[in-house]
Amino acid sequence: MLAVAEREQLPVARARAGEPAAWDALFRRYQLPLYAYVFELVQDEQTSLDLVQETFIAAVRHIGSLRDDAKFGSWLFGIAHQKCIQQWRKQDRRETPADEIGDAPDAFADGPDDLLIRQEQEAEFMELLNQLPLPQRSVLLLHFVEDFSLEEIAQITGAQLGTVKSRLHFAKRSLRKILEDKNEDAA
Amino acid sequence: MKTPREILLARHRAAEPRLDAIRESSVAAVCNRRVSTDRTNERRSQTAATMMAIWRVLWHELILPARRTWAGLAAAWLVLLIVNFSQREPLSSTTGQPVRSPVVMMSWQIQQRWMNELLSDRSIPPEAERPRTMVPGPRTENFGPVVV
Repeated sequence: MLAVAEREQLPVARARAGEPAAWDALFRRYQLPLYAYVFELVQDEQTSLDLVQETFIAAVRHIGSLRDDAKFGSWLFGIAHQKCIQQWRKQDRRETPADEIGDAPDAFADGPDDLLIRQEQEAEFMELLNQLPLPQRSVLLLHFVEDFSLEEIAQITGAQLGTVKSRLHFAKRSLRKILEDKNEDAA
Repeated sequence: MKTPREILLARHRAAEPRLDAIRESSVAAVCNRRVSTDRTNERRSQTAATMMAIWRVLWHELILPARRTWAGLAAAWLVLLIVNFSQREPLSSTTGQPVRSPVVMMSWQIQQRWMNELLSDRSIPPEAERPRTMVPGPRTENFGPVVV
């Protein structure tokens, strides 16, 4: 399993040239994180699989629009995010309005792995994640699953950098608070 | 203890066989796309090669053996074109129509008038002015001077 933090060398240039083996490697690398992200947003297995396939096909078709090969991951997640939005529109489900809670701190010292969850808390963690409003959940998932930078998350979700900062900060804070409360109760 | 990423990925690991199938079909689409692109390129290059071959045959069979004749014809056409362009009337800057002198315009108008007169239909005589019929009124309404 590839570590999230390290930026591995992906065969994007070869994929750009239309080499099937390169595309296979890229899809293999991203298929599970992408599916996890899409599933946690749309909450439906078949729809998530369809959206992942649509994302892959769109990536093949529009690889020419990718400017920086190093940003292939965020570009791919950006396509998937757009597909999710289209799906919500199709279902006529209105997105939860962006909850601007206030100013967030300028920098995040903590990474995606700072939050460690016990085995017995896993189900609670997932339940908690699903309780978060969609914009916060989306930002948190991108942070957890691929450790994207704030700029990359802003690019994927099409939100302002400040908005992403505040969403991530408050999502993590509320998650941590609830987990700590649960720990205290258990103790 | 697990990281959120580990939990999330572990939760969806069961979908991996289906994701593998999706990946394979997507890669197959890449292959098909590549094949179709290659075919299109091949077809284009074949068309270009055929056109070049036709042009080469024409050049060697038609142009080269009688190159002096072709050159003479080309020169004659060139001269004709130059003469044609040099004798064209200048266009008016506002209307884009050729400029005509007043004398030409007057003669054209006269000619037009004659043509109208000649071509007008003379078989039907023009209708004459009809005599006015006078109906005398009653004598009581005659206010003229009474002569006794």
